[in-house]
Amino acid sequence: MKKYLNLTIIFLFALLSITNLISCSKDSSGAEIKLTQQMLSGKTWFLDYSITGTSEKNYLGQASYFIKFSKNDSTSDSDGLTGTYKVEKINNKLQINVKAKTSSTNLVEYIYNIESIGTSNLILYYSLNGATIPTKLYFSTKN
Amino acid sequence: MNCRTFLLCIFSICLVTGLNAQITPVVKDTVLTQRQKDRLFLKQAGKDRIEKFKKEFNKTWNKVFIDFTDNNVMLMAGMNFTKQNVRANGYTSPFIYAVEQKNVYKPGFFAGFRVDGKYKENYPYAVAFTLNKYASGTNYKETKSVKPFDGNFSNFKAAEQSFSFNMTALYKKIIPISDTAKYKFYVVAGPSLDIRLSKQGIDNQVNYNYRKMFLRAQLGVEFENKDFYTLFFHYKQGIHSVTKSPIQTGFNNFDLGMLIKASDLF
Repeated sequence: MKKYLNLTIIFLFALLSITNLISCSKDSSGAEIKLTQQMLSGKTWFLDYSITGTSEKNYLGQASYFIKFSKNDSTSDSDGLTGTYKVEKINNKLQINVKAKTSSTNLVEYIYNIESIGTSNLILYYSLNGATIPTKLYFSTKN
Repeated sequence: MNCRTFLLCIFSICLVTGLNAQITPVVKDTVLTQRQKDRLFLKQAGKDRIEKFKKEFNKTWNKVFIDFTDNNVMLMAGMNFTKQNVRANGYTSPFIYAVEQKNVYKPGFFAGFRVDGKYKENYPYAVAFTLNKYASGTNYKETKSVKPFDGNFSNFKAAEQSFSFNMTALYKKIIPISDTAKYKFYVVAGPSLDIRLSKQGIDNQVNYNYRKMFLRAQLGVEFENKDFYTLFFHYKQGIHSVTKSPIQTGFNNFDLGMLIKASDLF
Protein backbone atom coordinates (compact mmCIF):
# COMPACT_ATOMS: atom_id res chain seq x y z
CA MET A 1 0.00 0.00 0.00
CA LYS A 2 2.83 2.35 0.97
CA LYS A 3 4.57 1.49 -2.30
CA TYR A 4 1.52 2.61 -4.28
CA LEU A 5 1.32 5.81 -2.30
CA ASN A 6 4.98 6.58 -3.01
CA LEU A 7 4.49 5.81 -6.70
CA THR A 8 1.46 8.12 -6.80
CA ILE A 9 3.45 10.94 -5.17
CA ILE A 10 6.34 10.46 -7.62
CA PHE A 11 3.89 10.42 -10.55
CA LEU A 12 2.16 13.59 -9.38
CA PHE A 13 5.49 15.32 -8.80
CA ALA A 14 6.69 14.35 -12.30
CA LEU A 15 3.42 15.57 -13.82
CA LEU A 16 3.68 18.90 -12.02
CA SER A 17 7.31 19.34 -13.07
CA ILE A 18 6.48 18.63 -16.72
CA THR A 19 3.53 21.03 -16.58
CA ASN A 20 5.75 23.72 -15.14
CA LEU A 21 8.42 23.17 -17.76
CA ILE A 22 5.89 23.33 -20.56
CA SER A 23 4.32 26.50 -19.20
CA CYS A 24 7.74 28.14 -18.96
CA SER A 25 8.47 27.63 -22.63
CA LYS A 26 5.70 29.87 -23.98
CA ASP A 27 6.75 31.53 -27.22
CA SER A 28 5.73 35.17 -27.13
CA SER A 29 7.44 36.39 -30.33
CA GLY A 30 4.26 35.57 -32.30
CA ALA A 31 2.29 37.83 -29.97
CA GLU A 32 4.91 40.55 -30.29
CA ILE A 33 4.69 40.53 -34.10
CA LYS A 34 0.89 40.34 -33.99
CA LEU A 35 0.70 43.30 -31.62
CA THR A 36 3.14 45.33 -33.73
CA GLN A 37 1.14 44.55 -36.86
CA GLN A 38 -2.06 45.56 -35.07
CA MET A 39 -0.60 48.89 -33.92
CA LEU A 40 1.07 49.67 -37.24
CA SER A 41 -1.55 48.74 -39.82
CA GLY A 42 -4.53 50.67 -41.05
CA LYS A 43 -2.84 54.00 -40.33
CA THR A 44 -0.89 56.76 -42.04
CA TRP A 45 2.24 57.69 -40.10
CA PHE A 46 3.54 61.26 -40.43
CA LEU A 47 7.16 62.12 -39.76
CA ASP A 48 7.38 64.66 -36.89
CA TYR A 49 11.08 64.57 -36.02
CA SER A 50 14.29 63.14 -37.37
CA ILE A 51 17.27 62.91 -35.02
CA THR A 52 20.82 61.87 -35.86
CA GLY A 53 23.14 62.25 -32.88
CA THR A 54 22.59 65.79 -31.66
CA SER A 55 21.10 67.04 -34.90
CA GLU A 56 17.32 67.29 -34.66
CA LYS A 57 14.96 68.18 -37.49
CA ASN A 58 11.44 69.18 -36.61
CA TYR A 59 8.73 68.68 -39.22
CA LEU A 60 5.73 69.50 -37.06
CA GLY A 61 3.21 71.68 -38.87
CA GLN A 62 4.92 71.12 -42.20
CA ALA A 63 4.08 68.93 -45.15
CA SER A 64 6.55 66.18 -44.41
CA TYR A 65 7.17 62.57 -45.30
CA PHE A 66 4.41 60.10 -44.54
CA ILE A 67 3.97 56.39 -45.01
CA LYS A 68 0.78 54.35 -45.00
CA PHE A 69 0.64 50.74 -43.80
CA SER A 70 -2.58 49.04 -44.87
CA LYS A 71 -4.21 46.05 -43.23
CA ASN A 72 -3.72 43.98 -46.40
CA ASP A 73 0.10 44.25 -46.03
CA SER A 74 0.45 46.91 -48.72
CA THR A 75 2.25 50.19 -48.21
CA SER A 76 2.61 53.52 -49.97
CA ASP A 77 4.48 56.69 -49.06
CA SER A 78 4.66 60.36 -49.92
CA ASP A 79 7.66 59.72 -52.20
CA GLY A 80 5.45 57.69 -54.53
CA LEU A 81 6.75 54.26 -53.49
CA THR A 82 4.17 51.48 -53.36
CA GLY A 83 4.60 47.83 -52.41
CA THR A 84 4.29 45.44 -49.52
CA TYR A 85 5.61 45.30 -45.97
CA LYS A 86 6.23 42.64 -43.37
CA VAL A 87 6.85 42.85 -39.64
CA GLU A 88 9.62 40.50 -38.50
CA LYS A 89 11.74 39.83 -35.46
CA ILE A 90 15.36 39.25 -36.38
CA ASN A 91 18.22 39.12 -33.87
CA ASN A 92 15.76 40.05 -31.15
CA LYS A 93 14.87 43.27 -32.99
CA LEU A 94 11.48 44.11 -34.39
CA GLN A 95 11.76 45.25 -37.99
CA ILE A 96 9.59 46.48 -40.84
CA ASN A 97 10.74 45.04 -44.12
CA VAL A 98 9.43 47.07 -47.07
CA LYS A 99 9.56 45.89 -50.70
CA ALA A 100 8.37 48.67 -52.95
CA LYS A 101 8.50 50.03 -56.48
CA THR A 102 9.20 53.60 -57.50
CA SER A 103 7.00 55.34 -60.03
CA SER A 104 9.57 54.31 -62.65
CA THR A 105 9.05 50.67 -61.49
CA ASN A 106 12.51 50.30 -59.94
CA LEU A 107 12.51 47.81 -57.07
CA VAL A 108 13.49 49.22 -53.68
CA GLU A 109 13.89 47.15 -50.52
CA TYR A 110 14.60 48.70 -47.14
CA ILE A 111 14.41 47.75 -43.49
CA TYR A 112 13.47 49.94 -40.52
CA ASN A 113 14.20 48.81 -36.98
CA ILE A 114 11.44 49.52 -34.50
CA GLU A 115 12.59 51.18 -31.30
CA SER A 116 9.12 51.84 -29.91
CA ILE A 117 5.59 51.53 -31.18
CA GLY A 118 2.26 52.61 -29.74
CA THR A 119 -1.22 53.19 -31.07
CA SER A 120 -0.32 56.71 -32.22
CA ASN A 121 3.47 57.00 -31.79
CA LEU A 122 6.20 55.21 -33.69
CA ILE A 123 9.97 55.45 -33.39
CA LEU A 124 12.05 53.83 -36.14
CA TYR A 125 15.80 53.85 -36.61
CA TYR A 126 18.22 52.91 -39.32
CA SER A 127 21.94 53.19 -39.92
CA LEU A 128 23.26 54.21 -43.30
CA ASN A 129 26.18 52.17 -44.62
CA GLY A 130 29.31 53.12 -42.70
CA ALA A 131 27.46 55.41 -40.28
CA THR A 132 28.05 54.71 -36.58
CA ILE A 133 25.25 56.90 -35.27
CA PRO A 134 21.76 55.70 -36.22
CA THR A 135 19.08 58.06 -37.48
CA LYS A 136 15.87 57.99 -35.48
CA LEU A 137 12.54 58.82 -37.10
CA TYR A 138 9.62 59.90 -34.92
CA PHE A 139 6.19 59.34 -36.46
CA SER A 140 2.70 60.04 -35.20
CA THR A 141 -0.74 59.37 -36.61
CA LYS A 142 -2.00 62.95 -36.06
CA ASN A 143 -5.41 61.92 -34.77
CA MET B 1 -81.26 21.28 -60.70
CA ASN B 2 -78.46 18.84 -61.33
CA CYS B 3 -75.98 21.52 -60.50
CA ARG B 4 -77.73 22.22 -57.18
CA THR B 5 -77.67 18.52 -56.28
CA PHE B 6 -73.97 18.35 -57.17
CA LEU B 7 -73.17 21.39 -54.95
CA LEU B 8 -75.20 19.88 -52.09
CA CYS B 9 -73.27 16.65 -52.48
CA ILE B 10 -69.91 18.42 -52.33
CA PHE B 11 -71.01 20.45 -49.29
CA SER B 12 -72.10 17.25 -47.51
CA ILE B 13 -68.78 15.58 -48.27
CA CYS B 14 -66.88 18.61 -46.96
CA LEU B 15 -68.99 18.68 -43.83
CA VAL B 16 -68.52 15.00 -43.15
CA THR B 17 -64.77 15.22 -43.82
CA GLY B 18 -64.55 18.24 -41.53
CA LEU B 19 -66.41 16.51 -38.74
CA ASN B 20 -64.31 13.42 -39.15
CA ALA B 21 -61.14 15.49 -39.09
CA GLN B 22 -62.09 16.89 -35.70
CA ILE B 23 -62.74 13.52 -34.19
CA THR B 24 -59.40 12.05 -33.26
CA PRO B 25 -59.54 8.74 -31.56
CA VAL B 26 -57.90 8.99 -28.16
CA VAL B 27 -56.42 5.66 -27.33
CA LYS B 28 -54.55 5.48 -24.09
CA ASP B 29 -51.56 3.26 -24.34
CA THR B 30 -51.36 1.77 -20.91
CA VAL B 31 -49.06 -1.04 -21.96
CA LEU B 32 -45.40 0.01 -21.75
CA THR B 33 -42.94 -1.06 -24.37
CA GLN B 34 -39.76 -2.84 -23.38
CA ARG B 35 -37.78 0.31 -24.18
CA GLN B 36 -39.92 2.45 -21.86
CA LYS B 37 -39.54 -0.16 -19.14
CA ASP B 38 -35.76 -0.15 -19.63
CA ARG B 39 -35.70 3.61 -19.47
CA LEU B 40 -37.68 3.68 -16.25
CA PHE B 41 -35.44 1.04 -14.76
CA LEU B 42 -32.29 2.92 -15.77
CA LYS B 43 -33.67 6.16 -14.36
CA GLN B 44 -34.32 4.41 -11.09
CA ALA B 45 -30.82 2.94 -11.14
CA GLY B 46 -29.33 6.40 -11.69
CA LYS B 47 -31.44 7.83 -8.89
CA ASP B 48 -30.28 5.07 -6.59
CA ARG B 49 -26.69 5.76 -7.49
CA ILE B 50 -27.12 9.48 -6.78
CA GLU B 51 -28.75 8.72 -3.44
CA LYS B 52 -25.92 6.32 -2.59
CA PHE B 53 -23.32 8.90 -3.59
CA LYS B 54 -25.09 11.57 -1.52
CA LYS B 55 -25.16 9.30 1.50
CA GLU B 56 -21.48 8.40 1.15
CA PHE B 57 -20.50 12.00 0.51
CA ASN B 58 -22.37 13.16 3.61
CA LYS B 59 -20.77 10.39 5.64
CA THR B 60 -17.27 11.36 4.49
CA TRP B 61 -18.03 15.05 4.87
CA ASN B 62 -19.27 14.58 8.42
CA LYS B 63 -16.25 12.44 9.24
CA VAL B 64 -13.69 14.89 7.82
CA PHE B 65 -15.44 18.08 8.81
CA ILE B 66 -16.68 16.84 12.13
CA ASP B 67 -15.95 20.19 13.77
CA PHE B 68 -17.77 22.19 11.09
CA THR B 69 -21.44 22.22 11.98
CA ASP B 70 -24.68 24.19 11.35
CA ASN B 71 -23.78 24.62 7.70
CA ASN B 72 -26.03 26.72 5.52
CA VAL B 73 -25.58 27.16 1.80
CA MET B 74 -26.15 30.77 0.78
CA LEU B 75 -26.38 32.24 -2.71
CA MET B 76 -24.49 35.47 -3.12
CA ALA B 77 -24.31 38.16 -5.78
CA GLY B 78 -23.37 41.79 -6.01
CA MET B 79 -21.15 44.44 -7.47
CA ASN B 80 -17.43 44.90 -7.13
CA PHE B 81 -15.47 48.14 -7.55
CA THR B 82 -11.87 47.64 -8.58
CA LYS B 83 -8.70 49.66 -8.96
CA GLN B 84 -5.11 48.79 -9.86
CA ASN B 85 -2.10 50.75 -8.66
CA VAL B 86 0.73 50.22 -11.13
CA ARG B 87 4.43 50.87 -10.67
CA ALA B 88 6.40 49.75 -13.74
CA ASN B 89 9.79 49.82 -11.92
CA GLY B 90 11.90 50.20 -15.06
CA TYR B 91 10.04 47.59 -17.09
CA THR B 92 10.89 48.01 -20.77
CA SER B 93 9.41 46.72 -23.99
CA PRO B 94 9.17 48.04 -27.57
CA PHE B 95 5.55 48.99 -26.93
CA ILE B 96 4.64 52.39 -25.58
CA TYR B 97 1.24 53.40 -24.31
CA ALA B 98 0.06 56.95 -23.78
CA VAL B 99 -0.98 56.97 -20.13
CA GLU B 100 -4.60 57.71 -19.36
CA GLN B 101 -4.94 58.03 -15.61
CA LYS B 102 -8.14 56.40 -14.40
CA ASN B 103 -7.60 56.64 -10.67
CA VAL B 104 -11.09 55.39 -9.84
CA TYR B 105 -12.80 52.22 -8.68
CA LYS B 106 -14.69 50.82 -11.67
CA PRO B 107 -17.79 48.65 -11.31
CA GLY B 108 -18.00 44.96 -12.15
CA PHE B 109 -20.10 42.14 -10.74
CA PHE B 110 -19.88 38.74 -9.10
CA ALA B 111 -22.07 35.76 -8.22
CA GLY B 112 -21.59 32.49 -6.43
CA PHE B 113 -22.35 30.65 -3.24
CA ARG B 114 -21.14 30.60 0.32
CA VAL B 115 -21.27 28.02 3.09
CA ASP B 116 -21.81 29.56 6.51
CA GLY B 117 -21.39 27.46 9.60
CA LYS B 118 -19.71 27.09 12.96
CA TYR B 119 -16.35 25.63 13.81
CA LYS B 120 -16.36 23.65 17.04
CA GLU B 121 -19.84 25.08 17.67
CA ASN B 122 -18.40 28.40 18.82
CA TYR B 123 -16.60 30.08 15.96
CA PRO B 124 -18.74 31.23 13.02
CA TYR B 125 -17.01 30.90 9.66
CA ALA B 126 -17.83 31.17 5.96
CA VAL B 127 -16.30 29.76 2.80
CA ALA B 128 -17.26 31.49 -0.44
CA PHE B 129 -16.84 30.52 -4.08
CA THR B 130 -17.64 33.19 -6.65
CA LEU B 131 -17.13 34.09 -10.28
CA ASN B 132 -15.99 37.68 -10.66
CA LYS B 133 -16.03 40.03 -13.61
CA TYR B 134 -13.65 42.85 -12.84
CA ALA B 135 -13.50 46.13 -14.71
CA SER B 136 -10.69 48.08 -13.18
CA GLY B 137 -9.53 51.66 -13.05
CA THR B 138 -5.76 52.14 -13.29
CA ASN B 139 -3.54 54.47 -11.37
CA TYR B 140 -0.06 54.61 -12.95
CA LYS B 141 2.18 55.64 -10.08
CA GLU B 142 5.10 56.30 -12.39
CA THR B 143 5.23 57.26 -16.04
CA LYS B 144 7.98 58.06 -18.50
CA SER B 145 8.45 60.66 -21.18
CA VAL B 146 9.45 59.80 -24.73
CA LYS B 147 11.16 62.92 -25.98
CA PRO B 148 10.48 64.73 -28.27
CA PHE B 149 6.89 63.45 -28.08
CA ASP B 150 4.62 65.23 -25.62
CA GLY B 151 2.78 63.40 -22.88
CA ASN B 152 3.34 60.58 -20.42
CA PHE B 153 3.94 57.02 -21.48
CA SER B 154 4.30 53.56 -19.99
CA ASN B 155 5.72 50.36 -21.44
CA PHE B 156 3.13 48.38 -19.49
CA LYS B 157 -0.56 48.44 -20.25
CA ALA B 158 -2.76 47.39 -17.37
CA ALA B 159 -5.61 45.04 -18.27
CA GLU B 160 -8.92 46.80 -17.77
CA GLN B 161 -11.10 43.70 -17.79
CA SER B 162 -10.66 40.28 -16.27
CA PHE B 163 -12.73 37.31 -15.21
CA SER B 164 -11.76 35.17 -12.27
CA PHE B 165 -12.80 32.44 -9.88
CA ASN B 166 -12.50 33.47 -6.26
CA MET B 167 -12.28 31.36 -3.12
CA THR B 168 -12.53 33.01 0.26
CA ALA B 169 -12.42 31.70 3.80
CA LEU B 170 -13.78 34.06 6.43
CA TYR B 171 -13.86 34.17 10.17
CA LYS B 172 -17.01 35.91 11.42
CA LYS B 173 -17.27 37.83 14.65
CA ILE B 174 -20.64 39.09 15.79
CA ILE B 175 -20.86 42.70 16.99
CA PRO B 176 -23.43 42.98 19.80
CA ILE B 177 -24.91 46.36 18.85
CA SER B 178 -28.63 45.58 18.61
CA ASP B 179 -31.12 42.81 19.37
CA THR B 180 -29.08 39.92 18.00
CA ALA B 181 -32.16 37.70 17.85
CA LYS B 182 -33.45 39.93 15.05
CA TYR B 183 -30.53 41.75 13.52
CA LYS B 184 -26.95 40.59 13.48
CA PHE B 185 -23.91 42.60 12.61
CA TYR B 186 -20.69 40.79 11.83
CA VAL B 187 -17.12 41.75 11.16
CA VAL B 188 -15.50 39.27 8.79
CA ALA B 189 -11.88 38.72 7.84
CA GLY B 190 -9.86 36.12 5.98
CA PRO B 191 -7.75 35.22 2.99
CA SER B 192 -9.06 35.38 -0.56
CA LEU B 193 -7.59 33.60 -3.58
CA ASP B 194 -8.37 34.57 -7.18
CA ILE B 195 -7.68 32.32 -10.15
CA ARG B 196 -7.79 34.23 -13.43
CA LEU B 197 -9.97 32.45 -15.99
CA SER B 198 -9.81 35.03 -18.76
CA LYS B 199 -6.94 35.19 -21.22
CA GLN B 200 -4.50 38.06 -21.06
CA GLY B 201 -5.02 40.77 -23.66
CA ILE B 202 -2.68 40.94 -26.66
CA ASP B 203 -0.75 43.77 -24.95
CA ASN B 204 0.20 41.48 -22.09
CA GLN B 205 0.66 38.29 -24.08
CA VAL B 206 4.12 39.48 -25.15
CA ASN B 207 5.58 38.95 -21.68
CA TYR B 208 2.62 37.31 -19.92
CA ASN B 209 2.77 40.03 -17.29
CA TYR B 210 -0.22 38.98 -15.20
CA ARG B 211 -0.10 36.11 -12.72
CA LYS B 212 -2.60 33.29 -12.92
CA MET B 213 -3.36 33.42 -9.19
CA PHE B 214 -3.27 36.13 -6.61
CA LEU B 215 -3.84 36.18 -2.90
CA ARG B 216 -5.53 38.98 -1.04
CA ALA B 217 -6.73 39.81 2.44
CA GLN B 218 -10.42 40.41 2.91
CA LEU B 219 -12.06 42.50 5.59
CA GLY B 220 -15.69 43.48 5.80
CA VAL B 221 -18.93 44.06 7.63
CA GLU B 222 -22.20 42.17 7.27
CA PHE B 223 -25.76 42.80 8.34
CA GLU B 224 -28.13 39.86 8.75
CA ASN B 225 -31.83 40.66 8.84
CA LYS B 226 -33.87 38.06 10.76
CA ASP B 227 -32.33 35.22 8.76
CA PHE B 228 -34.10 36.55 5.63
CA TYR B 229 -31.07 37.99 3.91
CA THR B 230 -27.62 39.37 4.59
CA LEU B 231 -26.14 42.53 3.17
CA PHE B 232 -22.38 42.82 3.09
CA PHE B 233 -19.57 45.22 2.31
CA HIS B 234 -16.09 43.75 1.93
CA TYR B 235 -12.73 45.20 1.02
CA LYS B 236 -10.01 43.09 -0.60
CA GLN B 237 -6.44 44.30 -0.33
CA GLY B 238 -3.73 42.71 -2.50
CA ILE B 239 -1.01 41.00 -0.46
CA HIS B 240 1.37 40.75 -3.40
CA SER B 241 1.65 42.07 -6.94
CA VAL B 242 -0.70 40.58 -9.51
CA THR B 243 1.94 41.16 -12.17
CA LYS B 244 5.36 39.60 -12.53
CA SER B 245 8.57 41.37 -11.55
CA PRO B 246 9.61 44.14 -12.04
CA ILE B 247 6.06 45.51 -12.47
CA GLN B 248 4.29 45.98 -9.15
CA THR B 249 0.51 46.04 -9.41
CA GLY B 250 -1.76 46.25 -6.41
CA PHE B 251 -5.23 44.94 -7.21
CA ASN B 252 -7.82 46.09 -4.67
CA ASN B 253 -11.58 46.03 -4.68
CA PHE B 254 -14.76 46.59 -2.71
CA ASP B 255 -17.56 44.04 -2.83
CA LEU B 256 -21.11 45.13 -2.18
CA GLY B 257 -23.70 42.39 -2.23
CA MET B 258 -26.40 40.25 -0.78
CA LEU B 259 -26.69 36.70 0.57
CA ILE B 260 -29.83 34.59 0.60
CA LYS B 261 -30.22 31.07 1.98
CA ALA B 262 -30.39 28.62 -0.90
CA SER B 263 -33.09 26.64 0.93
CA ASP B 264 -35.34 29.74 0.90
CA LEU B 265 -35.18 29.85 -2.87
CA PHE B 266 -35.19 26.18 -3.85
